[in-house]
Amino acid sequence: MSTHSITPAQNAAPPDLPPTDVPPTGRGRGRGRRRSRRSGRNLAYWLIAPALVFMVLVHLIPSAAGVALSFKNLNTFTFSQLFGAPWTGFKNYDAILFDSANPLHSGFVDAARNTVIYTAATVTGTLAGGLGIALLLARQFPGRRLVRTLMLAPYVVPSFVVAVLWGFMWQSDSGIINKVLVDYTGILHDRPTWLLGHNSLLAIIIPSIWRGIPLAMLIFLAGLETMPRELHEAAAIDGAGPWRRFRYITLPLLRPLIAVQLLFGVIYSTYQFTIPYVMLGNNPGPDADLIMTLIVRQSFSNNLIGFGAAASTLLMLVMLIWVAVWFRAFRRDLEAS
Amino acid sequence: MTARRKKQLTSWGLTSLTYAVLIVMLSPILWLIASSLQTRGQLASGDYNLLHPTVSAFKQMWESVDFGKYLTNSLIICTAAALLATAFAASAGYALARLPFRGQKAFSVGIVGTQLVPGSMFLLPVFLGFIWLKQNTPIHLFDTHIGMILIYTAFFTPVAIWFMRYFFLAIPPELEEAAMVDGCTRFGAFWRVVLPSAAPGLAATFVYAFLLAWDELLFVTALTASRAETIPVGIHNFIGNYSEEYAQLMAAGVVSTIPVMLAFFATQRWLVQGLTAGAVKG
Repeated sequence: MSTHSITPAQNAAPPDLPPTDVPPTGRGRGRGRRRSRRSGRNLAYWLIAPALVFMVLVHLIPSAAGVALSFKNLNTFTFSQLFGAPWTGFKNYDAILFDSANPLHSGFVDAARNTVIYTAATVTGTLAGGLGIALLLARQFPGRRLVRTLMLAPYVVPSFVVAVLWGFMWQSDSGIINKVLVDYTGILHDRPTWLLGHNSLLAIIIPSIWRGIPLAMLIFLAGLETMPRELHEAAAIDGAGPWRRFRYITLPLLRPLIAVQLLFGVIYSTYQFTIPYVMLGNNPGPDADLIMTLIVRQSFSNNLIGFGAAASTLLMLVMLIWVAVWFRAFRRDLEAS
Repeated sequence: MTARRKKQLTSWGLTSLTYAVLIVMLSPILWLIASSLQTRGQLASGDYNLLHPTVSAFKQMWESVDFGKYLTNSLIICTAAALLATAFAASAGYALARLPFRGQKAFSVGIVGTQLVPGSMFLLPVFLGFIWLKQNTPIHLFDTHIGMILIYTAFFTPVAIWFMRYFFLAIPPELEEAAMVDGCTRFGAFWRVVLPSAAPGLAATFVYAFLLAWDELLFVTALTASRAETIPVGIHNFIGNYSEEYAQLMAAGVVSTIPVMLAFFATQRWLVQGLTAGAVKG
């Protein structure tokens, strides 16, 4: 960043300073610097070129093509035409959003509702759990380093294994969760069915939280470790209890970290596909279908590519709105940090 | 009760709570391992015999699905993609960290912006594109290693760039300034001085990209048919064909977790830095 600061520093010089005050060597040195800066800039372009080419080829162009596909009538009958399928205007959007006679519409509404519940619950649970564990681990106690390392383990279990493992644990008759809840502790009297019906959304939320907690914990722990101790000590001397210190010192200082995790947590959860798809299958039913599983099923099982593209575009628009809302809500924290 | 005694008790209570939480967090993983070492019948009846583990599920799993094929595909595709993504990220991340250039802000925003695009958004055109290429040109990307490597490289390069940028920022600029005074070009300084000292960062970035690629299911489901399928597809196929074979499924889960666990814990120190840096330092 050293070269970056040259121009602002020169601009910051008082305007009434006569130009002769610039030392005679300044021009020559300036030109040399400028040349090295230009060559640095050229090098920068060379260095970003490979990544840029890939991102344009595989992210930018296909994303634009995805938006274009959403205006096409691309289904089983026109599939062989690929990109040459006929244009259809806003028909796909109309079918999704407004055509209540179309089964795709009600499917979309169910999936949108479930996605909102799934995302809200997963993000809240992950942040709360991560913060709780981070607070526990911020203390000094025997075995702290080992505990911190072991806590990371769920994050390293691949999502598809998480789905398979929890799918096994949720089994109604032989699953360990019902065994614990019903047979061993008697918390529940009859065995719930977890993977079908209205419990199935919970069955994907809990494993998602479980896998997300370690990362949230790491981020909060990093924040807690850089927190000035003096504030807590001063507040404790003034008679503030642990809860008040947490509420009025710790939490405000962690706000920027909560903000960043909210932003990416919501995006990541909304786009989650592996856990629901592996645990509940291709068609989880109206109680647990998510937008992503709906898009993939309609696009690839039913060949409704135009529908999938339109739903994806809508999903991206919603995420853009979320980023704008987030930015308004947390702009002050971004500037502060 | 004296104040000191009360404090000691609280401390003891919190430590016990911490260990209890740890056990709860780890219990699903322990259950995975325990279940993989039992027979199918024991899993159905719940009569686990932890003192007499058996590896029969591992053997059966290896035979009933061609697990070796999936494992090889995963290793080839994920290693190649993670290597390429790390190489691209090292070069682009260095430019972002050290060389101010016009359009830097746009490039940074673009990197974060890629995360906003739902996978399905560019999966559909890529899927159609692969099929079109197959039908109209000799370029075969559908159901090939190369196709998946290209996709994953592009997919995980943005996050990898963010990682590498952080690791380069952590290296003191004096290092390359000294090298340039000694006659190195800017690129020479990057290549001979900065890159070697960023080795832990390179390793962490590689492992992170590898982890992400290892876990990817959406693209590989849509863009492969039989030859280039990776472990997640294999496991998903397995559920479809042998839905009640939980012992084998757990064994497959253990085998697919071991490589990433090893890679993660070997580079944990640096990986954790990269993972938290983005959030903590902005």
